[in-house]
Amino acid sequence: MSANLDRGNCFRRGMTVAVLIKQVPDTTAKIGISGGFVDESAVSKWSISPYDEYALEAALQMKEAGRGDLVAITCGPSRASKALTEAAAVGADTLIHIEVDLENLDSVQTQSLLAAAVKRAGSEVVLCGKQAADTNGGSTGPGVARLLGSNFVGMVSEISSDGEGYLADRMGPNGGERVSVPSPCLFAFDKGTSELRRPNVRGIMMAKKKQIEVLSPSDLEVEIGDSQVKLRGHSSPPQKAPGQKFEGADSVAEVVAKLREEANVI
Amino acid sequence: MEITVIAEGNDGDLHPVTSQLVGASSRIGDSVTVLCPGGWGSAEAASIPGVSKVISIEGACFDTYDCRVWSKAISPLANGDLVVAAASPTGREICATIAATRSIPVLQDLTGLEEGIVATRPIFSGKAVEECSIALPCAISLRANAFEASQGEGMAEISTVNVDSDVSISVREALAKANERLDVSEANIVISGGRGMGDPGNFSHLYEIADEIGAAVGASRAAVDTWEEIPHSMQVGQTGKTVAPSLYIAVGISGAIQHLAGMRTSKYIVAINKDPDAPIFGVSDYGIVATWEEALPVLKEELCRLSN
Amino acid sequence: MYADGLNNMPYEGLDFYDIDALLTEEELMIRDMVRDWVDESVIPRIEDSCREGVFPDEWRKEIGEMGILGAPLKGYGCPGLSYVAYGLICQELERGDSGVRSFASVQGSLAMYPIWDFGTEEQKEKYLPRMATGELVGCFGLTEPDYGSNPGDMITRAEDKGGNYVINGAKMWITNGSIADLAVVWAKLDGEIRGFIVEKDDPGFSAPEMKGKHSLKASVTSELVFQDCIIPKDRMLPDVKGLRGPFSCLNNARYGISWGALGAAQSCFNSAKEYALSRIQFGHPIASFQLVQNKLSWMLREITKGQLLAYHLGKKKDDGTWIPEQISLAKMNNVDVSLEIARMARDIHGANGILDEYPVMRHMANLESVKTYEGTHDIHNLIIGRYITGIQSFTREP
Repeated sequence: MSANLDRGNCFRRGMTVAVLIKQVPDTTAKIGISGGFVDESAVSKWSISPYDEYALEAALQMKEAGRGDLVAITCGPSRASKALTEAAAVGADTLIHIEVDLENLDSVQTQSLLAAAVKRAGSEVVLCGKQAADTNGGSTGPGVARLLGSNFVGMVSEISSDGEGYLADRMGPNGGERVSVPSPCLFAFDKGTSELRRPNVRGIMMAKKKQIEVLSPSDLEVEIGDSQVKLRGHSSPPQKAPGQKFEGADSVAEVVAKLREEANVI
Repeated sequence: MEITVIAEGNDGDLHPVTSQLVGASSRIGDSVTVLCPGGWGSAEAASIPGVSKVISIEGACFDTYDCRVWSKAISPLANGDLVVAAASPTGREICATIAATRSIPVLQDLTGLEEGIVATRPIFSGKAVEECSIALPCAISLRANAFEASQGEGMAEISTVNVDSDVSISVREALAKANERLDVSEANIVISGGRGMGDPGNFSHLYEIADEIGAAVGASRAAVDTWEEIPHSMQVGQTGKTVAPSLYIAVGISGAIQHLAGMRTSKYIVAINKDPDAPIFGVSDYGIVATWEEALPVLKEELCRLSN
Repeated sequence: MYADGLNNMPYEGLDFYDIDALLTEEELMIRDMVRDWVDESVIPRIEDSCREGVFPDEWRKEIGEMGILGAPLKGYGCPGLSYVAYGLICQELERGDSGVRSFASVQGSLAMYPIWDFGTEEQKEKYLPRMATGELVGCFGLTEPDYGSNPGDMITRAEDKGGNYVINGAKMWITNGSIADLAVVWAKLDGEIRGFIVEKDDPGFSAPEMKGKHSLKASVTSELVFQDCIIPKDRMLPDVKGLRGPFSCLNNARYGISWGALGAAQSCFNSAKEYALSRIQFGHPIASFQLVQNKLSWMLREITKGQLLAYHLGKKKDDGTWIPEQISLAKMNNVDVSLEIARMARDIHGANGILDEYPVMRHMANLESVKTYEGTHDIHNLIIGRYITGIQSFTREP
């Protein structure tokens, strides 16, 4: 792996970095289906989506190298404010909660709200996770970048400043690359190279004091209209077929074919 | 319904998933236009049945992957009622950017698609399945190998569009592939060896297969305890790591309860063991009763064939 | 956690009566912070640390960084948290290992607390902020080789030599002793028990480690030896005389232990439950057999009762309405049931339970110490007996 990027001088004075975070059921929580839909009330633990945590860590390092403000933005129902408090506990300065019933919004609506919030915060650099742990989609990063008219680099593991722009380590179609990209830019993070920092008691107690700004779509002057996506239902994944047993090395070819066709796992 | 398919490239050629995109599209729509960013694989795309026409989009801007620039070049031509891409990292990014450009909704990584449009996709890392109806126009990406490829031979016409876009992203350097191997707890596929491998040196066979498919190599406690050369960091099991990959291949592992505790929640388990009564067969989805000496070379060959 | 939900399954506490709903947001965040740390830093290393008999220094640093040492103390760089938060911290640490929780108990309740409550301003400023960060490690010297349950008759003595005090004697079973920068030592000055701060480089002081333990192996247990140990006059704790001093420290530690022991119990319960669901005998998981369900059910019952006891005691500690006998009851009950749960869990694991593949026997061995230290089970029992009857039955004399 190439030498670590130099993070000195990352920020122009007064510059803000925005981090988009999403609250999701903890990846270890059991997901139960009730009445044909995932039962949210049965989710035992909610957390910041794991890839967003890497984005947050990178943003904190940028903030520490310069003197900027870290704005954490989330779009979601009232429980999502806890994700902002968790971000504050590790150092986020400004907390913005776009309070909406996220389930019933489509990508156009969600992205327009997030982009409006980013513009309002005046951030030129935006970080987020490559995909949320609930939808596993990955549309928000590129979509918000497009609405902001900014550059976009995805599958990022590390970033740093490069004069007026940035250097990012990313996994591209040709393999791992270090790319330079001018500002403004949105970076979508894969697993980062840095270890995630733990909160500490001081951070947790200070987070309690930080105000969360709660905004509605009209506060952001966004006419979101109607969702074009209607949820029809959730179901458990199809039951796996009972285990099959084969004799002899000749059966390996058959098993490999089944892994592709039946299991869809390679 | 007019459908635009964004072809998926593969090292300058057409990625086979493209014919799956076409197959899925032609089953619900009448006219399928395939866009080939960078012009890659346009001739091959034209020979997929169900394709009405192919547009080869060419320009210097395709030399380096830049989502904003590529999408800017592709969007004006991606004007179908439905835009379909592969759910690869680039496919998703381009698809989402085109959707944002057109202010149409996007859904990613579909495993099912029907007229309506009714989309089915796994959520919560596969713990549940979601079904949505989505109004046209919209954009979707499809999971690889979840849809039948279009069969047979086609003959569509190819037109070329040249674009001259500004480029923002430039590559400073290629990053060498990390010398360290993937950790067992992070890989999507894990292949583990037990004491049945006979000798720690034989783990090299597992490494060869792992490198072929981008898997991590693990070991049972018995192997770790018996052989110094097999480090504790590879141990899967109670006091080793607990893993839940999509695919876990256990080679020469009997399946004692402590090991099972470490991998039982893997999505799919393949076991290779010469003992037909080994407990591992009780939890495997696909059990192969064979010696590893015989089975592994065949496994390697089959996996090689699949990726080519 | 990344790439489609691959990671070690983290721990889930047992909360059958939904005590979580009674906790504040900060208490939950602090609890989760410690829980995650134990999963990341303790669980992967604990069995090796136990085998080697070491307390890794990284744990000292990381616990310090989390800012949880001296949890309920206010000021001087201390966290100033609620007693409920302190209890939650102990419960999570001990779910990892009793030795880890012992480190924090001794540091916070037995070394920081007496300085905080009985020390001079100078002593507080000098020691507390650096103990809160874990930079300075403290220990507590009360117990002696021949004086355990009867600390009042201790023979370690301090003599006033004009410019200094000189201490002679020995203490035993001292957690953190060999790694401590300072020791809060209780010794008799003119026949009266006083507290003294001894620093590790003071002449005539040594802290050899005690070897050969079958319990609390991932914890440092030492002797403190004073052979004409000379300390300056400003090291005495001025505001306390007699056993009141050490006992108030012990009360705080015992309170933490009443929560902590349940952490170990939950670790054993979780392991037993998972094992019973996976272990197939006679064609069925042993979790389907009545005798096994009986045991698991008893464990859940006792953990739940113990948690409610500890939580309510925490609220009383926070509003100042507690009495020491209430702490004795909680420590005694919760440790006692936790030890039984550990034994029962070992039994459910069968032969596998003796391997360090599973945590149960390590917790079981640890809890033997926890049952004895900070007031033995029997002593707490008699404390309650005295409360009920008004008659002390510790000694033969009236």
